[in-house]
Amino acid sequence: MKSLHLATLAATAAAGGSAFATQYLTVEQAQRAMFPDATRFADASLQLAPEQMRQVEKLAGLPARSVNWRVFAAYRGDALLGHMVLDDVIGKFELISYAVGVNPDASIKQVEILTYRESHGFEIKSPAWRKQFVGKTAQSGLAVGEGIANISGATLSCTHVTDGVRRIAAIAQVMLKK
Amino acid sequence: MKKNILARAILAAFVAVPTVALASEAELLQRIEKLAAELEKVKSELAATKQKTDTVEKRQETIAAAPASQGSASGAPQTVVTGYGEINYTHPTKDASASQTDVRRAVIGIQHRFDDKTKLVSEFEFEHAVASKDDNGEVEVEQLYVEREFDNGLRAKAGLFLIPAGLLNTNHEPTAYYGVERNFVETAIIPSTWREVGVGLSSTLENGLTWDVGVTTGFDLTKWDAASEEGRESPLGSIHQEGQLAKSRDMSVHGALNWRGVPGLLVGGSVFTGKMGHNTADFAANGARLTLWDLHTRYTPGRWDLSAVYARGNISGVDALNLISAAQGQPTPVPSSFAGWYAQAAYQLWKSGDYALSPFARYERFNTAKGYTAVPTGLEAQTGPDEKVVTVGANFKVGEGVVLKADYQKFYEDTTRNRVNLGLGFAF
Repeated sequence: MKSLHLATLAATAAAGGSAFATQYLTVEQAQRAMFPDATRFADASLQLAPEQMRQVEKLAGLPARSVNWRVFAAYRGDALLGHMVLDDVIGKFELISYAVGVNPDASIKQVEILTYRESHGFEIKSPAWRKQFVGKTAQSGLAVGEGIANISGATLSCTHVTDGVRRIAAIAQVMLKK
Repeated sequence: MKKNILARAILAAFVAVPTVALASEAELLQRIEKLAAELEKVKSELAATKQKTDTVEKRQETIAAAPASQGSASGAPQTVVTGYGEINYTHPTKDASASQTDVRRAVIGIQHRFDDKTKLVSEFEFEHAVASKDDNGEVEVEQLYVEREFDNGLRAKAGLFLIPAGLLNTNHEPTAYYGVERNFVETAIIPSTWREVGVGLSSTLENGLTWDVGVTTGFDLTKWDAASEEGRESPLGSIHQEGQLAKSRDMSVHGALNWRGVPGLLVGGSVFTGKMGHNTADFAANGARLTLWDLHTRYTPGRWDLSAVYARGNISGVDALNLISAAQGQPTPVPSSFAGWYAQAAYQLWKSGDYALSPFARYERFNTAKGYTAVPTGLEAQTGPDEKVVTVGANFKVGEGVVLKADYQKFYEDTTRNRVNLGLGFAF
């Protein structure tokens, strides 16, 4: 049943792909990019309880914003490789969709930009900028100017994506850490 | 499954009738009624279970389908209202009577997304609070263009858009720069906010390199007023067209490269060139050409924000025009070159919650009339020395959208311009 959902999801995402000029990756492509060794992905979407939201807010220093989080678990056989969390933030004026790969120890594995629509700041999707997040946790260096360098001319997009990743790192710490 | 067991039980009950032949009819009826009641109960339980299963399945489908809508514009508003503004106070330290407070600019922007690939960007500006026949204010369309994106990442735009020169022109909101007033290099040499009407193409590569090219309107040299000092303040600012019945016999071209391959670092440059005479009847400089280029860099390691810009403009083909104005004794010929540079350092000294304080210092050196083409002895215009300005002050940010500014500017040539500035700016 689950695999059927995933297939439908992948098909929908792929079909959607061609419609967006600014869509760099579909959800499925992001999964493969983050966990190339995975044999299967399972829906592991989260619902945060009020107490968990408070913990996330404390860790991230940001409002937890949402109760529901779209998460996939990546497995190789029965072994959990990590999770992928999907999120959107507003850049300056437009919605940026991105995915965050999280290791089982709640550190950041990878960040992928799925769509970007602002007129400036396309460099956010450059590997050099995204690499800055790798290995960091909610407590260490996940803020613009303090571990993550700004992109000149796209400060708001950088700040909002970085804040978003920090929030997800905190959620991983509270909800996904093994 | 339960149903099956039940049916068998009922069957068994009836089959069992002969064996209990002695039981009274009333007893049998009672038993059947009891069984029927149980059957109803099981039926309703089954229905409830089925409903529950359906709900769970539906929810699972919703959850699974949710990421599929990822990237669609469903969650994004189609039309976004933006804005920025600044209110400044200036106090010349050597002439307090010239102190001034000004609603420098109030800008309303509307961005509308027609579809996933096409959007309209517009900005409407009010300068100096009041615009009328008897006032100094202006109402301007600062940006008005449509941008379309193609599958290969290429972006095309058409309309009135900002020329990608320097650091400030395309990032001119008061929250984006240090100091109450915009720097001199990017107002007197690069005439920010500089926009032209035309078409442009741009793209960003995976390695962090962005390129821009375009064909647009340019400047109108017939607007040069050799009798006024305006051309001394900003040579290009005095002959820009801003999309207002812009003379378009001569179009200009531009190109820019900006590399952001190392996080926190920007290195870039631009060039803009075009003729400015527009084949005007009885005009002495129909062959005049402007070429303006710049090199810029910005580096933001940690709490530091370091930047530098060099800009230079050259105007050729104005000898005959300058000769005429010189013969008429007019003070401001068209310069053959004008240039300037600045270096600036800012440091985020203190941050607490929404508040952040960043002191900065900037050194500028610029000359709006660095050189003139040769004219007969006795008619030459004097090139002035480079003006040197030091600006020290601080930006105090309140959240992302509001900034309070204070600075002191010291002019090394014309010290009467020394001044203290205070400003309030916002952008959303």
